[in-house]
Amino acid sequence: MNAIIALSLLGIFTLFTGIFNWRKAMLPIVVIGLAGVFVLNGMDYFTTPSWYADYTHMVIFDRYAVVFSAALIMITAMLFFLCKQYYQKEDNNISDIYGLILFTLVGGMLMASFSNFAMLFLGIEILSIPLYILAGTKRLEVTSNEASIKYFLMGSFSTGFLLFGMALVYGAAHTFTLDGIRQYTDAHAGDLPTIFVAGIMLMLVGMLFKVSGAPFHFWAPDVYSGAPTLITTFMATVVKTAAFAALYRLLFYTFGSAKPIWFDALWGVAALTMIIGNFSALYQHGVKRMLAYSSISNAGYLLIGVIAMNTHSANSIFYYTLVYSLASLVSFGVLMLVTQDNGGDDSYTAFKGLARNNPALAGLMTLAMLSLAGIPPLAGFFGKYYIFINAMENGYIYIVLIAVANSLVGIYYYFKVIVAMFAKDTAPTKIAVQPAYLFALVVAAALLFVLGIFPDWVSGLMN
Amino acid sequence: MKEQSLVSDYIPILIQLCVAIGFVVATMLATHLIGPKRKGANKLESFECGIESEGNARLPFSVKYFLTAILFVLFDVEVIFMYPWAVNYKTFLHEMGMQGFFSMVIFLSLFLVGFYYIVRKGALKWE
Amino acid sequence: MKALLAHIEISPEIHNGFTDAMPMLMAALILLPFLGFVFNFFLGQRLSKTLSGVIGSATILGSFIIAATFFAQSISGSFTSHQVCLMDWIEVGKYKFSFNFLIDNLSIMMMLIITGIGFLIHVYSIGYMHHDEGFSRFFSYLNLFIFFMLLLVTGANYLILFIGWEGVGLCSYLLIGFWFKNQEYNNAAKKAFIMNRIGDLGFLLGMFKILDVFGSLNFSDVFSAAGGFTANDPAIVIITVLLFIGACGKSAQLPLFTWLPDAMAGPTPVSALIHAATMVTAGVYMVVRSNVLFALSPFTMELITIVGLATALFAGTIALFQNDIKKVLAYSTVSQLGFMFIALGVGAFTTGMFHLMTHAFFKALLFLGAGSVIHAMGGEQDITKMGGLSKKIKITFITFTIGVMAIAGFPFTSGFVSKDEILLADFQHGKIYFILATIAAIMTVFYMFRLWFLTFFGSFRGTHDQEHHLHESPPSMTVPLMVLAILSLVGGFVQFPHIFGGHDYLNQYLSPVVTNTIQEIEGADKLEIEILIATCIGLVILWFITKKNYAVSEFKGEYTGFKKVLADKYYVDEIYEALIISPFQKMSAFITKYVEVIFIDGFVNGAGKVAQVAGSYIRLLQSGHIGYYLFAMVISIVVFLLLNTIIHF
Repeated sequence: MNAIIALSLLGIFTLFTGIFNWRKAMLPIVVIGLAGVFVLNGMDYFTTPSWYADYTHMVIFDRYAVVFSAALIMITAMLFFLCKQYYQKEDNNISDIYGLILFTLVGGMLMASFSNFAMLFLGIEILSIPLYILAGTKRLEVTSNEASIKYFLMGSFSTGFLLFGMALVYGAAHTFTLDGIRQYTDAHAGDLPTIFVAGIMLMLVGMLFKVSGAPFHFWAPDVYSGAPTLITTFMATVVKTAAFAALYRLLFYTFGSAKPIWFDALWGVAALTMIIGNFSALYQHGVKRMLAYSSISNAGYLLIGVIAMNTHSANSIFYYTLVYSLASLVSFGVLMLVTQDNGGDDSYTAFKGLARNNPALAGLMTLAMLSLAGIPPLAGFFGKYYIFINAMENGYIYIVLIAVANSLVGIYYYFKVIVAMFAKDTAPTKIAVQPAYLFALVVAAALLFVLGIFPDWVSGLMN
Repeated sequence: MKEQSLVSDYIPILIQLCVAIGFVVATMLATHLIGPKRKGANKLESFECGIESEGNARLPFSVKYFLTAILFVLFDVEVIFMYPWAVNYKTFLHEMGMQGFFSMVIFLSLFLVGFYYIVRKGALKWE
Repeated sequence: MKALLAHIEISPEIHNGFTDAMPMLMAALILLPFLGFVFNFFLGQRLSKTLSGVIGSATILGSFIIAATFFAQSISGSFTSHQVCLMDWIEVGKYKFSFNFLIDNLSIMMMLIITGIGFLIHVYSIGYMHHDEGFSRFFSYLNLFIFFMLLLVTGANYLILFIGWEGVGLCSYLLIGFWFKNQEYNNAAKKAFIMNRIGDLGFLLGMFKILDVFGSLNFSDVFSAAGGFTANDPAIVIITVLLFIGACGKSAQLPLFTWLPDAMAGPTPVSALIHAATMVTAGVYMVVRSNVLFALSPFTMELITIVGLATALFAGTIALFQNDIKKVLAYSTVSQLGFMFIALGVGAFTTGMFHLMTHAFFKALLFLGAGSVIHAMGGEQDITKMGGLSKKIKITFITFTIGVMAIAGFPFTSGFVSKDEILLADFQHGKIYFILATIAAIMTVFYMFRLWFLTFFGSFRGTHDQEHHLHESPPSMTVPLMVLAILSLVGGFVQFPHIFGGHDYLNQYLSPVVTNTIQEIEGADKLEIEILIATCIGLVILWFITKKNYAVSEFKGEYTGFKKVLADKYYVDEIYEALIISPFQKMSAFITKYVEVIFIDGFVNGAGKVAQVAGSYIRLLQSGHIGYYLFAMVISIVVFLLLNTIIHF
């Protein structure tokens, strides 16, 4: 909880650094501040969560919340290392962008730690509203504007469903607290009133929109490919992680005993998400759009983790989101560099021959692609492995079959990037990279490797 | 409190709904039927103080209008929070001690910080 | 069954100085090639080629020495089977996986083959690749391959085996596409990768099923628990069939074999090491390792026999009229792998391993010899343009001849002994198997003789430049050839037929790990003599036929009629193209065209165009496409709720 307060203050402070023109100090302040927030958050790992009774049980920082928050903070901090080079031409509103990113993070942490529907809603809104603006931060580009307004319209539309669902659930259970609703669900399991069931389903619609599950994913490809790449990275990593943290928390802590109600629906959504994501990604000409669809398909794999819902699910979802975030960070990071000087051409041809003059970047990208494709011993493999094994434990064999087949399809389009990079033809010239930028990418790639060899380092954090 | 609500509980709402819709429909029908009808090209045009209207009425106008309006709404709504607080101030003091006071201080200071930010950003400057 | 399984249980730990040192040695064995990889990959370009080659080879030599130490100790009896846990790895729910390695006689045998032949091929590559700019990259990949291959054969559970399995696939992909500037080679690499993934899918599912049935992936747990199952238990049948599908992909059996001939696009040492001697035999190793499971499933065993036999015949006929020296050898490899699977299928597991070993010797020799020929010819691979090389490149000629003798089965060479055992086992299993396998063996003789005569006899049919360029290869290439030639000649003595005064050394050595399910063969001695006589007669007849046709001065290499069908490989690639690839592409194109183009691109691109023309974006938002999105969402929600209601009420 202290972490959230500190982070909010940091966000406000960042806004003012822009006003007072402390341009040089801005980035160090943010990064050091995030490090402080990370430590504050980490301290909660060792205390018992009951201390937060003071906040009338609005949030609860149990290990689930702390671990997810830590990942969110870490990934955000890494993103800030990329900010300087990406926004080097942007001079006026850079502090506002930084501040908005921090506020989004606040929303994400609330989504991982809510224990009351009000806080879930607030978290989602605090996360979303800055994002709508961030998606439009390349003000002079029409695609960025398009992404922003589309995201805003579709986002508010889906939020309506979420709120409607909450209202219906409240109508049946007469409470907003997770504990209360859980007691209600347990007591009425098997004989839940229709109004409550409808509430669950509508809330699910709202949440599935946020995680870009098919058929509620229509916004994702357009918004991902239209938004500035740095913000796309942010959406694919931090926002996706937060959304899954919230979805699983919601289902596990409140509607766990109503599993028969939502299981089939989520099963279908998971299968559909994987299939649509993967097969659409196959035929993309742009790497950015391919990664957007890849993000959708990864949401499908994660949904399998959600429906498995046993004692290991939280851990496996966490591991997967972390690993996916790291791989996305690297791949989008390299993409930003490639498109930086070539007028924004993100097609596969833009990657042709990258290995010749930029071997380091090609190597990083290869690692990321291999991890996304799920080739051992990289961490991506274990992410999928944990999720699949988890579902197998419950005997959900068909969804795992679909997932395995889909992950084989995925290999094709990830390898297309690798093949392009090692092709002989025209090679882009040496791309200038700032040390901080390269540092973040290397750390992320190294983590992909290390976590692949020692997955136990993070996969048991919630036990 | 009753756990299960019956359909009959909703009857008053239904009646009110009917009355509301009925009133609107009835009034519109009545004006339509009773009112004088004079149709002509001039009559259908929008009235611009006798001057002939030009172009579309839906012209884009300065974004500053929106900005000011939205900021007004924002601060207006925030001020509303102070009413219940002020009304119940004594009870707060009694129950929570100074915490009741300081929570409003925090709220107001965030409020002021926001205001200061807006001013410094020049959001309220017209030129 | 219990008695049969008794040997699986890890023998009680005998604590002596050696077993204590084993974890260290094991770690060194595996990590040495990995260090070589790291070194060559990151520093290779800054080193001289010699140094980079020496480092690459020396690490493998180190591993070989360690493997030899294991072998010596296992012979002397200081241990029979030892499990080394290098570290605990991951825990998933109730399952726990560790980096456990199993050192028993089977894995030691594989280690020796991999590191021994691997070392020779590394040395050979120093000469062969000397002019290549990617020299250090080549060595780093080779070392990485050896690393993964060692993981594959030493892992004590299916997970480690699988990691090695995927790793060697990756290295194979990298090495086939090593000359990545050629798009055709890249396609070959992709094809190999994709075909392997189909097999891998089977293997992966098999692993899941094992986990489901046995609750563990450890060999020791699985094999000891297998005792509780009766023969042809459905679960076991499913597992073994799935594992066999995996083996089919890796070991290029019908119908997943077409990648292997294309894989010849890689440098020749790669063909020798990966696509002949080691990686492609991983499927055989996996089946032998799981022999306890396979023995419980006669259905799968029969399937393996039939697939093996069909592959041996099918690939053998294709090899008859190929004109590319490496293609002939490639189809020959597929055919010989078929022989190994026949042996496994009839339950003669050790015989399969025996043929694996001898095949590793002579096929590595043949490939390296072919490499030497190609080297001499300045990159030419077409045998219609060779001829009369026997006088120009003597050492290559002599060693290659020994290789041909071994694979053709000249009496008492290694190839004769191992194939002879397979044929005997077939005879026991059923006469028809014996006859078909013999036909496949005769075809081997034919195409090898054809290759040999066309290459080394008759008169030279290439260009003048090539004739001028002909030269013997450097010692770094010829010495490995000689070593392999000796091994090909005498390698059979570890398992020589009794009638000729031999011993069952190999069978005895493998007996703690592998139990053959085939019975003792009656009248083996008599049959043995008959086979020997028949072989001699057959060889002489085929010698004259092929000599007449192929030791010639003019050779076109064009065929008509059925021969053309064979030369064109039965059009399998074309059939796959028509049946699988193009429908798949059409389906994807359909999705792209209708789902993607109309629904998404149509709206977005249309919007983008109008945006450029009209210059106003906001108006566009109302012109339809976001409306479509919202509409689609509403429809989705309705369907979502409706379906859920239908399911539950």
